[in-house]
Amino acid sequence: GDTEEDEDPPEETCVSSYQKARQMLNSSATNNLPGREKEINELTGILQEARKDRKSVSLYISGPPGTGKTASLTKILSDPEMSKAFKKIYVNCTSIASIGAVYKKISAELGAKGAPRSEKDSLQAIEDALVRMKDKMLLLVLDEIDQLVGNKQAVLYTIFEWPRKFSKQLILVGIANSLDLTDRLLTRLQSRCELQPRLMHFPAYTKVQISQILTQRLEEGGVSGLFPPATLQLLAGKVAAISGDVRRALDIGRRIVEVAERSHSAEKPLNLEDLGVDFLPPDTPIAPKQVLDVMNSVYGTSQTLNEDLDDVFPLQQKILICSILLILKKDKNRDITLGRLHEVYRRVCEKLTISAVDRSEFTGLCSLVETRGIVQIVRKKEAKLHRITLQWDEEDVTNALKDKQLIAEILTATSCLGKKK
Amino acid sequence: SKLADSSTPRKSITLSNVIEEFPSGRRPSRICTKRQTFGFYCDAADDSPEIPKTPRSARMGRNPTTPKSAGKAQSVATTPSQKMKLLREGVITPTLGSREGALKGRKSLLEVARDHLHVCMYISGVPGTGKTATVTEVIRNLRANAEKLKLPKFQHIEINGMRLTEPRQAYVHIFRQLQGKTVPWEQAYNYLERRFRTEGGKKSVTVLVVDELDMLCNRRQDVVYNLLDWPANRAARLVVVTIANTMDLPERLLKGKVTSRLGLTRLTFKPYSFRQLQEIVTSRLGGFDGFNGDAVQLVSRKVAAVSGDARRALDICRRAVEVAEAEKQGTVSMGHVEKALAEMIANPKVQAIRACSRMEQVFLQAVIAESLRTGVEETTFMGIYAQFETLSSISGHTVPTITKSLEICARLGACRLIISQHSSSDIYQKILLNVSPDDVHYALQDKA
Repeated sequence: GDTEEDEDPPEETCVSSYQKARQMLNSSATNNLPGREKEINELTGILQEARKDRKSVSLYISGPPGTGKTASLTKILSDPEMSKAFKKIYVNCTSIASIGAVYKKISAELGAKGAPRSEKDSLQAIEDALVRMKDKMLLLVLDEIDQLVGNKQAVLYTIFEWPRKFSKQLILVGIANSLDLTDRLLTRLQSRCELQPRLMHFPAYTKVQISQILTQRLEEGGVSGLFPPATLQLLAGKVAAISGDVRRALDIGRRIVEVAERSHSAEKPLNLEDLGVDFLPPDTPIAPKQVLDVMNSVYGTSQTLNEDLDDVFPLQQKILICSILLILKKDKNRDITLGRLHEVYRRVCEKLTISAVDRSEFTGLCSLVETRGIVQIVRKKEAKLHRITLQWDEEDVTNALKDKQLIAEILTATSCLGKKK
Repeated sequence: SKLADSSTPRKSITLSNVIEEFPSGRRPSRICTKRQTFGFYCDAADDSPEIPKTPRSARMGRNPTTPKSAGKAQSVATTPSQKMKLLREGVITPTLGSREGALKGRKSLLEVARDHLHVCMYISGVPGTGKTATVTEVIRNLRANAEKLKLPKFQHIEINGMRLTEPRQAYVHIFRQLQGKTVPWEQAYNYLERRFRTEGGKKSVTVLVVDELDMLCNRRQDVVYNLLDWPANRAARLVVVTIANTMDLPERLLKGKVTSRLGLTRLTFKPYSFRQLQEIVTSRLGGFDGFNGDAVQLVSRKVAAVSGDARRALDICRRAVEVAEAEKQGTVSMGHVEKALAEMIANPKVQAIRACSRMEQVFLQAVIAESLRTGVEETTFMGIYAQFETLSSISGHTVPTITKSLEICARLGACRLIISQHSSSDIYQKILLNVSPDDVHYALQDKA
């Protein structure tokens, strides 16, 4: 087999439809944005109008993560016609050192000469540059603008006042997640109508839009046969109902392809002679069942819970969870401190004739359970006084534990609660 | 080892996929093979010369002036204690991967990394379940096979949140590993931003492993955001693997926009079962037969019941060997393991109570008596003093004065047997028993 490895990999590639689909469903930036035509048209309209009238505009775009805000703006910014009309600056506000440093970044982008020494100098440089701007308007995009939120919002106010101050030069676009950032934090802008930014909301993608996006991506790669419409609808419906985040939809789509590919290759008899030879797997369309399996493993807790508690979950941790359940179910006082839980746990262990761990070890045990997200520990000054709350649904846990003999036994052991005689 | 070598290239075909450069998004045909067996992680016995180079062992090997450490590295061990150096925690052996779970983990890791479009991954699991070891090993394999296959090199960068004084130092560390220089973070950030955001040149693939992700989360979360936002650029050619303990960290700690970027490609390392722990210990012991099989099983079962932490199991084994050595015995038996376990899972509090002075013990009893009487856990010093007087006169001691009793109380508070809240408020201070009442009864049962 050594000669084979020495050859250069052949240039012409044969990519299986699974791999192709996986590549097409990537969540990196794209120029093709189905489902956002309306918003893009509106934005372009606003920009064109502003250019025609030569009047400054401020704009605030909001929407949940993964709804294509930045992608839409990037698409507009990369339009050659826009390049002719505007001088464009894109600043991602996560990239700045402190809130005030945003001036420095903008002035650097504006090509201010010399290194301004202070915030004030930078601000001055920006304002000078804006005044000097005659032929082109400046299109300033501030992504993740909520990073600029500070104590007094001095920076945000200054920035949002620019469009009025330089009424012919600037189009300001702020992007963030929260719907009411400008109302909530910039109340003073409301007193002056001309200062108020124009609001635009990117709603979460609907089922139709998500399936449209997925279909288009798959068609681009020529692998639309892989996902029958029914499965796509199912996937889109589920994601749209939960978050409407297209990154998530693409992610799950990729996962489904991966799982399908794995099960496909598992069916193949593995023999060593096969290795050099490649084969293209036939396009077996993905069944709705496969989609559901992946969706459940992503969103369902009770299923993973069942699987977790089966074998690999350490016994002492199981007993710990059961003790919490016992207190929650059988005791009037439902407030659980670590000290109290340990007392109950010790009695349970005694009853089951299992050796119990001591308190310091038990504290460690609790934090191990916490890393799985089952409980949350509210830290107090003393370890004994830490408060423990069950994070998963009580019913879910009980159902998952129900038919296990050990658990049933613990849940009936009311005497372990240690009522005072 | 010969056998392993001859089979390596085949596996490498799959392993190398991550670092293949396919600018057009297409790949050579040989990469299409569906093979996913990774049987080449061979036994510790033939792997000992190629134990992964953690910096430490590498230094040892290179330094010829310390013959002792060189001997260690070659693992020519005869006595149990020397053999036990192999049990040393923190040294990653390839056999760690021979377990099912990690194997599965590696498979998915590879699948994830296969076409480097799929770029963020989150690995979680309780401490000591081999997360970092598995990732390191996957990357080591990739590197080894990349050289063999004349594949384009990829850069492997590792940062650990615990080693950073401040989240933004992450940029500095990444820059240093890329360029070999230390610069202020702004400069490092600007370079990285240029490198990962702009198209241009033929860039090699970068694999960035972020260990202890939760330490990078400050209030602004700008560092995490940037680390996870770079891979979204096609130009970046960046694969980010993040590791943390908490399973639901993205939902619990991270902001929505960061969670959305992290994606749903997640992998959870389950705690080791006792069988896996047994396997790990046995493979770490290599051919050494001085360790009783039942003893290994006992250790594995004890650890698997509590945490499933492999480090802990190895620790206990090492301690058992030390116990056996102290007794000048060649083999480690169940008895030694039990002694080591008793040491490590011992209840020091009972011993502390036993070692208390007589009046301190009576004071502890008084605390219990008072909380029994009032029915609430938290008691005041005044109430306890009344009980203390009674108890000490029953047992025939002279009753200490209040000042003396406060002194006793302060001493017990200092060794954490009781918690005294606001100890400045003298006789009105509130006192809480910090040990279980059963422990006190158990410790004092023959004194009563």
